Formats: sequence, structure tokens, C-alpha cells
Amino acid sequence: MASMNPILSAQGIQQRFGELTAVDDVSVDIRENSIHAVIGPNGAGKTTLFNILAGTQSPTAGKVVYAGRDVTSMPIHQRVKIGMSKSFQRTSLFADLTVLENVRLAVQAADGAEPYVFWRSTDPGGRLSGIAEELLGSVGLRALSGARVGEISHAAQRTLEIALALASKPKIIFLDEPLAGMSIDDIHRAKHLIRSLSERMTVVLIEHNMSVVLGISDTITVMARGRKIVEGPPEAIRSHPDVRQVYLGHAP
Amino acid sequence: MLDRNSPLRPIAIVAALLVALPLLLPSLTLSSEVVVFAVGALSVSVLLQRVGLLSFGQGLFFGIGAYASGMLLAAAEISNAVASIGAVLVAVAISVGIGALIARRGGVYFVMLTFAFAQMGFFLMVAMAGITGGENGFADVPVAPLVAGGSATPGTFATYVYLAVLCLLAFAATCVMAASPFGSVQTAIRSNIHRAQALGYNIANFKAATFVFAAAVAALAGAMHTTLLGFVPPSVIEPETSQRLLIMAIIGGAGSPLGAFLGAAFYVVLSDALADVWPRWMMLIAGILIAVVLLAPGGLFGLLSNAFGRVRARG
Repeated sequence: MASMNPILSAQGIQQRFGELTAVDDVSVDIRENSIHAVIGPNGAGKTTLFNILAGTQSPTAGKVVYAGRDVTSMPIHQRVKIGMSKSFQRTSLFADLTVLENVRLAVQAADGAEPYVFWRSTDPGGRLSGIAEELLGSVGLRALSGARVGEISHAAQRTLEIALALASKPKIIFLDEPLAGMSIDDIHRAKHLIRSLSERMTVVLIEHNMSVVLGISDTITVMARGRKIVEGPPEAIRSHPDVRQVYLGHAP
Repeated sequence: MLDRNSPLRPIAIVAALLVALPLLLPSLTLSSEVVVFAVGALSVSVLLQRVGLLSFGQGLFFGIGAYASGMLLAAAEISNAVASIGAVLVAVAISVGIGALIARRGGVYFVMLTFAFAQMGFFLMVAMAGITGGENGFADVPVAPLVAGGSATPGTFATYVYLAVLCLLAFAATCVMAASPFGSVQTAIRSNIHRAQALGYNIANFKAATFVFAAAVAALAGAMHTTLLGFVPPSVIEPETSQRLLIMAIIGGAGSPLGAFLGAAFYVVLSDALADVWPRWMMLIAGILIAVVLLAPGGLFGLLSNAFGRVRARG
């Protein structure tokens, strides 16, 4: 379960876009093997913070330290190699390829030995496809492996998103609104999947579904107007007066 | 029949076209010219089709291949085949440098940079007139056997066969690459570049490697051009050559390597037929280019494969 040591630590993060300060002097520690959610109303800067932590954006000031290493300006393809992985908010897959080929590409990237081989066909012994099939099985998508991604359901695409991010065997995974647009049944399944991930890795997520966030997270960081206003376990967040005011309104 | 997705399928079709070409066209020289430009257009289409890079400057590497092979033939008693390999290696060395600089740039920046390098290549050729022959071209290419031990004065048929084999090799290499692990990464890049990067692929390296491959193909075409003509006209490195290769690739259709072949055949045969009767034939080519871009973005290949698809669905 969650240990006390931070695997990822962001210090004094600031992000300016011209006159606008989207994130203003935010520091966050993310404990190893915890589920850490970043929430906040629209325009709170949570997506910007999340992107800086995940590495798709580098901050104007501040630094991000992962496992003792400054990764602030490390490009995303190198972060993958050291155990950081990100799934996308808007489904971002290879739509014209099959489910299996999507995952095989991800496994091939993680494997490292294959990608520059240009003189023979892909995966002659089926080793990478085997690993990919196994990964699909672990997220419950094996039955769809031959289908084209453009033709599978939205929920299945969201799950495939996560499967691609898992192929590199990350130590920390960033999930950008993993439940967006899912039906109630799908949300239930996805919740279990995310919970099961935290047995093996640290999970950082942004999510709008409050009941899920409160239900699965170990720690929640609440952002408002570019600043971190509260951080703590779900119980503390639920009852915190500032949170109720800026984010939850009158609920719950 | 061969599986639709097998890399052998387009290779077999190119082989069939290479056999049919001399039977369909009035002269072997014209057939040879088609074959040379098919390889040249392939170098444009492989960049566009595999990683979505539009090159306005493949003529640079076509020219480098043509000059390098001519100069190698003049410098040493070697066969055309050996000179061609040397020319390809020269282009590879140069394109590694250029590719590292420009392949990471996307969209219009890449287009402008290829254009700029092609211009630079042309003016370098003019500036180094002492070695290149400047505007007169490089005429000191000796008659040499096609392959080591071959006839010292090869005839037009032997030359066609030689060029056709090189053309087949270039198309085969392209198709094998497309079906390889490397090719699967290219497909990923073209399909969704941000996702490919997030998976851990270094996009810039894959684009640069594809750029080098395309340069090698263009240089091979240039060397084949020298073999066919027996000298190096300065036009091979003019910006117009880059343009022509691009037009061939677009008219033929960049959806498949076969498009490059069709586009080159169409362009060369049409210009040969029209050049004598109508000196402004380029206007017609321009009109066709406009029509293809607006009405049939898949080019000749797209039109043909649609037509075949319809026939098959009916039959």
C-alpha cells in the first residue's frame, strides 16, 4: 500500500502564459504506490499542473523531481524509459489500427530492441504480440484484440488508453480524466482497474467524477485560481470548509 | 492470390509493370526514363506516406546521386553499379547531417527547409564549376559496363534491364521497410504523433532515419539517370527536378509506393507525347495537378484502386 516516501515531488511550480498565471507556486509530494487525485473547478490550473507533473509541458519556474532525479525539462519519450507514463484525456489512439497493434506498438516501444529493425516483418516469433495479448487480458480487452480501434466502444477506448500507458511497466502512471464519458457500469469496472493498479504503481489522476475521486484516492490536492488550497485524505477534503466553498458549492 | 496486406503484393505489381513497360511504350529509352523517375518519385512519396513529411527538395539528393556517380565513374575504372552504390553512400552521409537538422521540424518549416537546401545545392554546383562543369553539366563520364565484368558498351536493352532491377530493388526495400517494426513506428507517427511520442518513441530520430532512406532512394534514381544518359546535365540538381518529383508523387498518389510508379509513368509519357506538338505542355501538367489535388487526392493510384474495388465488389 501507499508508503510515506514521495516518488514524485514538485517544488514551487509556476506556469505563466503571458499575463496569465495558470499555476502559481504550487508544491506537491506524491507518495509511492498511492492514488493521488488533483481536482478543482474549471480554470483552476489542475490540467496545467498535471501536464507539468506528467511531462507534456515544462513549467516557467520550479522543478519536478522523480525518484531523486530532476526531470523538469526531460522530454516525454525519455520519461517513459525511467518509469513514468501518461494516458490522454481526449482519447488518443491509433484509430486505424487494431486494438492488438496499438498495444504491440506500445510494448515494442518499451522493449527498445525492435523499433529500428527495418529489414524483416514485425514480430516474427509473436513475442511482442504475446506480451500485448497478456496486457489486454489484464485490463479485460482480450476479446477485442482483432477489432479496429475506431470501431470499439468509448469505454473500451478509454481502457485501451490505460493499457497503452501500462505497456512500459511504469512506476508512476498519469491518468487524465480516465472516466470521462463512461456509463455507470463502465465506471464501476474502471474504478476497480485503477484500484488494482495502485498495488503495483503510483497513480496520479485528474477526474471530475467527485464520488469516484473521494472513493478511490489516498490523497487529494484541491486547486483553485492557480493555487493549491487544500491537500489531504478524502475525509479531510469532504469536510473542509474552503473546499465546499470553492469547489463543491453546497454539496454534499 | 497474395494477401492484400502482404508486402510482396506491391513488389509483384511493380515487377509486372517493369516487364510490361517496354511492350507498351514506343521506345526502350522512354521506358528507361519512366523507371528512373519512378524511383525518384518514390523518394518523395515514401517521406509523405510513411511519416507525413512533404519534401520540396528531393531533387537535391537526385542531383547529388547523379553528380557523385558521374564523378566516381570519371575518377576510377568502375562499373555503373559500383558508382551507384558510392553515390548512394555520399547522399546518405549528407542526408544524415541535413536530416538531424531539419527532420524534427514539422509542417511548413520542414517544407521550406528542404526547399532552401535544394537551392543551396544548385548554387553550390554552379559555384564549383571547376569540378562540376557548372551550367554546362558534367560531361566527362566515360562509357562503363553496367556491372563488373559486363559488356564495355552496354546496349539499350541491357540498360533497361539493369535499371528495372534497381527500380525493383528500391520498391522492394520500401515495401519491406513498411512492413517492418521500424515501419510500424512510422505508421504510428503518421497516425498519431503525440501518442507515438508518449509511448516512448523518439519521433525526431524516426523521421530523420526515414529522411535518410528517402535521400538514398533519390540518389539511386540520380545515379540511374547518369547511367541512362551517359553524362550529368545541370538540370538534375535544379529546383525544377525537386518540383517534378513532387508533382509525379502527388499525381500518382502518395497512398502507396505504387502511386510513385504510376505518377512517373504518366508524367514522362505525357510530356514525351506533348513536348513536340505543344511547347507549353507544362500548363496541362499544372492543370492535371490542380484537378488531382481538388478532385482525387488519392491520385491515379486512388482512382485505380477504387475502380478495382468496385469491379471486385460487383464480380
